[in-house]
Amino acid sequence: MNAGNNRLSVSGSWLGLVLLVSLLPVVLALNLFLGASELSPMEVIQTLLVGSGQEHVVRVIWELRLPRALMAALVGAQLALAGFMLQSLTRNPLADAGLLGISAGASLGAVLVVVGAGTLSSGVEIYLQGESVLVWLPAAALVGGLLAAALVYGLSGGSALTPLRLILTGVVCAAILNALVTGLLGLWGQAHTETIAAWLAGSLNGRSWQHLSVLLPWSAMGLLAALLIYRPMRLLRLVDEQALSLGLNLGLWRLLTIATATLLTASAVAVAGPIGFIGLVVPHLARGIAPGHMALQYLMTAIAGAVIVLAGDLVGRLVLAPYELPVGVLAALIGVPAFLYLLRRQP
Amino acid sequence: MSLSAEKVRLGYQGQVIVPELSVQIPRHKMTALIGPNGCGKSTLLKALAGLLKPYSGSVRIDNHPLGSISRRELALKLAFLPQKPQAPESIRVKDLVGYGRFPYQGLMRGACDQDRKIVHWAMNETGVEAYAERPIEALSGGQQQRVWIAMAIAQQAEILLLDEPTTFLDWGHQLEVLELLERLNREAGLSVVMSLHDLNQAAQYSDNVLVMKEGALIAEGAPTDVITADLLHEVFRVEAECVTGKSGKLHCIARGSANKCVNQSDKAQ
Repeated sequence: MNAGNNRLSVSGSWLGLVLLVSLLPVVLALNLFLGASELSPMEVIQTLLVGSGQEHVVRVIWELRLPRALMAALVGAQLALAGFMLQSLTRNPLADAGLLGISAGASLGAVLVVVGAGTLSSGVEIYLQGESVLVWLPAAALVGGLLAAALVYGLSGGSALTPLRLILTGVVCAAILNALVTGLLGLWGQAHTETIAAWLAGSLNGRSWQHLSVLLPWSAMGLLAALLIYRPMRLLRLVDEQALSLGLNLGLWRLLTIATATLLTASAVAVAGPIGFIGLVVPHLARGIAPGHMALQYLMTAIAGAVIVLAGDLVGRLVLAPYELPVGVLAALIGVPAFLYLLRRQP
Repeated sequence: MSLSAEKVRLGYQGQVIVPELSVQIPRHKMTALIGPNGCGKSTLLKALAGLLKPYSGSVRIDNHPLGSISRRELALKLAFLPQKPQAPESIRVKDLVGYGRFPYQGLMRGACDQDRKIVHWAMNETGVEAYAERPIEALSGGQQQRVWIAMAIAQQAEILLLDEPTTFLDWGHQLEVLELLERLNREAGLSVVMSLHDLNQAAQYSDNVLVMKEGALIAEGAPTDVITADLLHEVFRVEAECVTGKSGKLHCIARGSANKCVNQSDKAQ
């Protein structure tokens, strides 16, 4: 897209969508075929189609790579969509769940549970059961994210909030919550610093069907809500007076949009940790591919989010194999330059 | 559809701007709201549009207080164009005009044939059909204003309220917008209420003039009856001559601000 070109190219937008949609199964397949343990493509196909094969192969495909890939796709789509919603709501292209304190709230929830589990007597049992602390992390992160969103929403004036106030309140709350996370970790987190640090980096390492089953109900709810709020959400980008004059119940739809974005973000952060920059960058990418066509942008945001997190996780698993680079680290490494590039191209 | 304000007290955050005002908006007429800056024109328009809740008194549409009907129902009866509307980044003209159909649509149901027909009509009526596929920022100020009016009339409300629809436009585009509104009033029977700064335009394009000063409605009626040299002196502190032209329309010619004229007459003495 060239800024001097007045007529928006609709065919170009559809071409972009087709490319993105066909990219999704390709990246998904690559995530199944490639990895630390070298499996031949034939083995993988056979295992996928028939469901049987060498026990080792079945385990790698069905227990490790498939749930992980599905989760990457969901987490990516959710974070990106939430970014799109929050950018529309605040009429600010820099908004995302990180800026509004939702990710920080989720992080604090998770850290509290892990640190708390170590200090409470009943908690020790939970923690001593090893892996099971990973089951408590998502729930705690979800609650933390929802509470942080409620706090930010309330402090910005509730139904009478203005977009600017929402952003400023969000930034302040995010700073405080992040400081609490660091403080908690520094004071009481010694024994668990490794667990928490790995989670805070944003990673899909070791995620299984169990995590996916935690995520799925929230994903289903969040994605359905994303569909339902689309039409009213478009009007949030106008001046308040115009949205109201068009018959929009502004307070209600602002609340529902924040609630949906929070649901999508908190559940994604809960299972994968706070992966940054997806919510910030992907909506801009979608806008670049389909300028002026908001419905397409919305759809592309979801798909591109999925593709990017899938690709990021794949690269993270391969570059340093058998070690892993957390997808959150890659997202920041790639996301920041991509964002700067997008900014420069915009007039 | 009748719109009226009864003894409304208006203001923002406890600061009263309009202490008490009652007005009945005449149906199917062009009404111009005039008065100096800060006299409460925008405040009154917002209250009439249901965007500002009166501290006391009520705004009624068909005798229902605005507070008692939902935003959606109100949007079917009344459209409002603010002074500084804002378009989302690179939105296409036809999509923006399509937002005017929002009160008719559900959460899932998109535009139906009827909606598309009306959006088409609205763009045609305002002369922006040719730019339907363009992003709004590629249009000139005058064209953009016509797109906003297209969005408002796509709402198919009988009452159209506009806050200074001509303020940021050049002379030619101002007249274009006013002619468009006049045509919509004559052909579609819209009741139009607009705040204007140019008295000649108010006189030429309205059937009814409301004059405000310091939060009060001090005169209303046909332009030729209401706009007089005395009134202009009182409201705007301008010494002017008002003459009725051959067309029967009123023309005001300013001699200068009242202060300047007083100084000059002092010197003459």
